[in-house]
Order: sequence, then C-alpha cells, then structure tokens
Amino acid sequence: MSTAQRIALIVAAVVVAIVAFVVAGSGGDDEPQRSSATTSAQTDTGKDSGEPQATTETSPPEPAVTQIQIRDGAVVGGAKTIDVVRGDTVRIVVSANAPDDIHLHGYDIERSVEPGRPARFRFKADAEGAFEIESHVAEDAGRDPLVARLVVSPS
Amino acid sequence: MILFAHGLVARSDLPIPQWLFGWAAAMVLLVSFVALAVLWPEPKLQQEHWKPAHGALSRVLTSRPLEIVCGAIGAALLVLVVYAGLRGTQSSTANFTPTFIYVIFWLGLVPLSVLFGDVFRAFNPWRAIGRGVGWIAARVARGGLPAPLAYPERLGHWPAVVGIFLFAVMELVASDGDQPDTLAVATLLYSAITFVAMALYGVETWIARGEAFSVYFNLFSRVSPVEVRNGVLGLRRPLSGLAALKPGAGTVPLLAVMIGSVSFDGAAEAPIWTGIAPDIARFFQDLGLSPQRALELTFLLGLIAAILLVYGFYRLGVLGAKSVGGGFSADRLAREFVHTLVPIALVYVAAHYFTLLLFQGQALGYLASDPLGDGSNLFGTADSQIDYTLIGANGTWYWQVGFIVTGHVAGLTLAHDRALALYDQARLAVRSQYWMLAVMVGFTSLALWLLSQANA
Repeated sequence: MSTAQRIALIVAAVVVAIVAFVVAGSGGDDEPQRSSATTSAQTDTGKDSGEPQATTETSPPEPAVTQIQIRDGAVVGGAKTIDVVRGDTVRIVVSANAPDDIHLHGYDIERSVEPGRPARFRFKADAEGAFEIESHVAEDAGRDPLVARLVVSPS
Repeated sequence: MILFAHGLVARSDLPIPQWLFGWAAAMVLLVSFVALAVLWPEPKLQQEHWKPAHGALSRVLTSRPLEIVCGAIGAALLVLVVYAGLRGTQSSTANFTPTFIYVIFWLGLVPLSVLFGDVFRAFNPWRAIGRGVGWIAARVARGGLPAPLAYPERLGHWPAVVGIFLFAVMELVASDGDQPDTLAVATLLYSAITFVAMALYGVETWIARGEAFSVYFNLFSRVSPVEVRNGVLGLRRPLSGLAALKPGAGTVPLLAVMIGSVSFDGAAEAPIWTGIAPDIARFFQDLGLSPQRALELTFLLGLIAAILLVYGFYRLGVLGAKSVGGGFSADRLAREFVHTLVPIALVYVAAHYFTLLLFQGQALGYLASDPLGDGSNLFGTADSQIDYTLIGANGTWYWQVGFIVTGHVAGLTLAHDRALALYDQARLAVRSQYWMLAVMVGFTSLALWLLSQANA
C-alpha cells in the first residue's frame, strides 16, 4: 500500500469520525424527551388500572400501580412489560381466580395469591436490567409461566 | 417467548440504545480504516516467538504434584456434578449442577483461558482419569499396552463440532436442558463416549482433536500469551497462538457452530424470531406434535439456520477473496483464515454472557455450601445472595461494545497478517484483505445488532 493510500484512509477515518459526531450530536438531543415519555407512560399505567391517585400538586405522587389479572391460568391481555427507571418505587398487584405463587426473578420476591386476595409487590427498583415475573403454577403445569416483564432502565 | 434452559437467567440485559449502536458502528468503520492504513507491511504473527519463562513460579506451575492435584480437583467436580444432578433437588436454580455446567464451566473458563492459557487442560477430568487409568493399566499389563489406533485425518475436528452443537441444543433447544438429572445423565454419557474414544485413539490425541470442550477452550487459550509447551511454561506474542492453529476437517464448521449458536441465543429474544417462532411451532403442532416437541423442533431449526447463515456468510467472503487471484482453492482459503474467527467467537460469548457470568456466577456462593439444595450449609455461605446492582445497564453496554470492537480489531489484524504471509504479491494480499474486512464488519455489525435487539 502506497503512502498516498495510507493518508487517504486516515482522512477517510477522520471524516467518518466527524460525521458520526455530528449525527450523534443531533440525535442525542432527544434523549431527555425520550426518558420523560417513559415516565408519562408509566403514570398512564396507573390511570388505566383505575387506581385512585393522589394528585395533589405539593406532595410527591404515590407510585403508579400496575394491575395484572390472571384468569384461568392465563394473563388477561397477555404478559406486559412494566417500564420503570432505577430508583423508582414499583407497585404491582396481581390478582387471580385460582391460588398461585407469583415470583419476581432477580429481586427474588415471591408472593402468594388467592381468589379475592391479590399478591401485592412494593419495592425500590435498585438493580437495572430486565426481570421476569412468573407464575409457579403455570411453570409446574408446563405452560408459559410469564406473567409480566419488569424493565428497569438507568435513571 | 422464553428460552427453556434459561431458567438460570433471572436478569437479562437491556438492549443497547440507538445512540450507542450508532457510535459503535462508526467506531468499527473507523478502526477498520485506521487498521488498513497503519498495519504492518510484513507478517508478524506467523511466528509465535515463544520464550520459556524461567523461575520458581514456572517450575511450580508445571510440577507433577500440582498436575495431579488439578486433575483430581477436575475429577472430583465431575463426580459432584453427576451426584448432585442425580441426588439433589430438581429445581434448576437450587441445584449445583446446572449453574456449574452452564455458567462456571462453560462461561467461566473462557476468560481464564484468554488470560492464563489452556487452564482447562490442567483441570480436564477426562484427561486426568484417562491418564491415570492408562498409567495403572501399563503397570498391570507387563507387556505394555497396545498402541492406539491412528486418528483418521478425515475426522479432524468433526467430533468437536458434534459435541459443541449438542451442547448448544441442550442449552438452547431442549426443554429439560436445565434439569439437574438430565444434565447428570448427559455428563455420564459424554464421559463414556470420551473414555471409549481415548482408549481407541490415545488420551492426548483425543484431547487435541476430538474432545469437544478441550478443543473449544484450547481455541480461546490461543489468544493468550501464556502457553505450556513440552512441560515448560512460556510466553508468546498475543494472538500468535491463533496463527499457529492447524485447521483440519471440521474446523470451519466448528467456528460456525460457536458463532451461530450465540447468535441464535441473541436473536431468539429479538422480534424477528419471537414474531415467527409461534407460527412455525403451530405448523408442527398441526402435524401432530405435542406443543413442547413442536417448540423444540422450531428452536432446533432456528439454531441450525443461524449456524448455516454464519457458515454461508464466511464462505461468501472466502469466495470473494478467491476471486482476487493467487490460485488458492476456496477450501484452502477457508482454512487459512478460519483462525481469524476465533476472536469474533470469543467476543460474541463475552458480550452476550458476561453479565450472566457476573451475576449467576455469584450463585456459586450458596450452591457450594448447599450443592444438593437440601438445606445443608457446608461452608457457611448457603445464605449468600446475588448482588444484582454490581453493574448497571450503562456499564454493561460499554463493556459489550468494547468487547465487540476489540474482537473486530483482533480479527482483522490476524486476517491482515495471514494475507501478507499467504500471497506473494502485496497487491493480491491487499485486495484479499478487503474481502476479509467485509467478513469482519459483517460479523461485528451482526453482533451489535443482536445486542440492540436483546429483549427489545
């Protein structure tokens, strides 16, 4: 390879670096918006579930509650993803019309549920990653045990 | 859809964000251009320049007593894996066996091999038992043992290809692949096959050519500057051990299985697979298979498809390199460049599984104290827990991208060096490099894309 070719390649590399910087710079601006969108979607989850929310302007709002219903061994509406940001207090209520054990992997929280007595989860999301919430009854029966997925994104 | 044998995975990685994906892709192009411009004009890695390291540490590490102790530890762990798998609890997370096989052994030995050389060779239970039995048998049979059969060259690395593929099937396809008793029985079966093959072809020959895990970890250990040669510890140029690899029949398929199976594991979480897998499974169910068997068959086809795609893509690059001239056959070129795929395979494993090793590896704390899951507490650590806050999503992403870009650089460096040694005309060497560079960029982009798709 001649010296001229080597110089040309170095120039090409510099051009790639500059283009990448410009593109990433313009794309990076919408980052904060994206994370605020996540927050609002999460509040929506609370409204959808019909849980009355403390909406006084001054006091910090109660964390949104995600309601999950299991009917006859199947999750109503299919397994959903619960998006939170690290540091959030997460509240999940699982109700079922048959006894079950609901297990949140990773955080390793297990709650039993019975008809009329829902399983209530309330914890601080301090570990990032994707964690599965599973039904032990479905797992033992050889069915898809996935109840929901908890996705904890960096704050 | 969740993966069967991933009952061990309590926490999955988040997909790398778009901005980082863009940055990483730009980095890959950048280092490719820079590499082409600044890489050396004469081959440098074709000679290993291995030098013995003298001194007490070297003598201790290669001493006979330590060799026996390491072999005994390996054999004891093999016995524990089988015993715990058969006698312990059948919960895959509370039993020692699944975590030990899939995380500590399969993943943990990878960084050890890269840093310290062929560590598994020292602890290999099959090698240790085979040598021990051979030693005793030679004493008992006073006339000496019959010479082993000549290893058929046509077999090459094919036994390892089959072994690693079946391991991937256990891990990613079989619905009871994380069951302790299934794993124990599979371990027994594999041990029996290994002992028969060792008896036929000789312990060291089978370890070097056919025993799947020896071949697998030895490939990664060739990245390391550390190598024991004829019982002497020595140092060589990093990566030069890969250039010294002697590919035979089956070496290219072996690398395709290694890269393809990790790719499939990544893609299985991506919408591209979760979208079509249920439809394929339903088709097999309509043919009369049980839902579980239908799903297994679907995943088996997905795994095979991923391996064939990786193989096909590499062959395509080789055909391109062939087209520049030089008079080499495609098979010859495929073998001459196959060692450049080892760093690629390595970073696929590193990027996809390093959090699994980091987190599930901590399970060794309580599993060592309670291997059977029966409530015992041998070392007082049975109550230890996994700390999932050890590394966050951001840290994970940077490590993953760092691994991938490093592997890319290592792969194209090796390809460059081999091209210089192979072609007598510098012009042909440079033009063949463009094709191998395209192969590297392709595999690196696939790796990044898989990371951006995980759990998406």
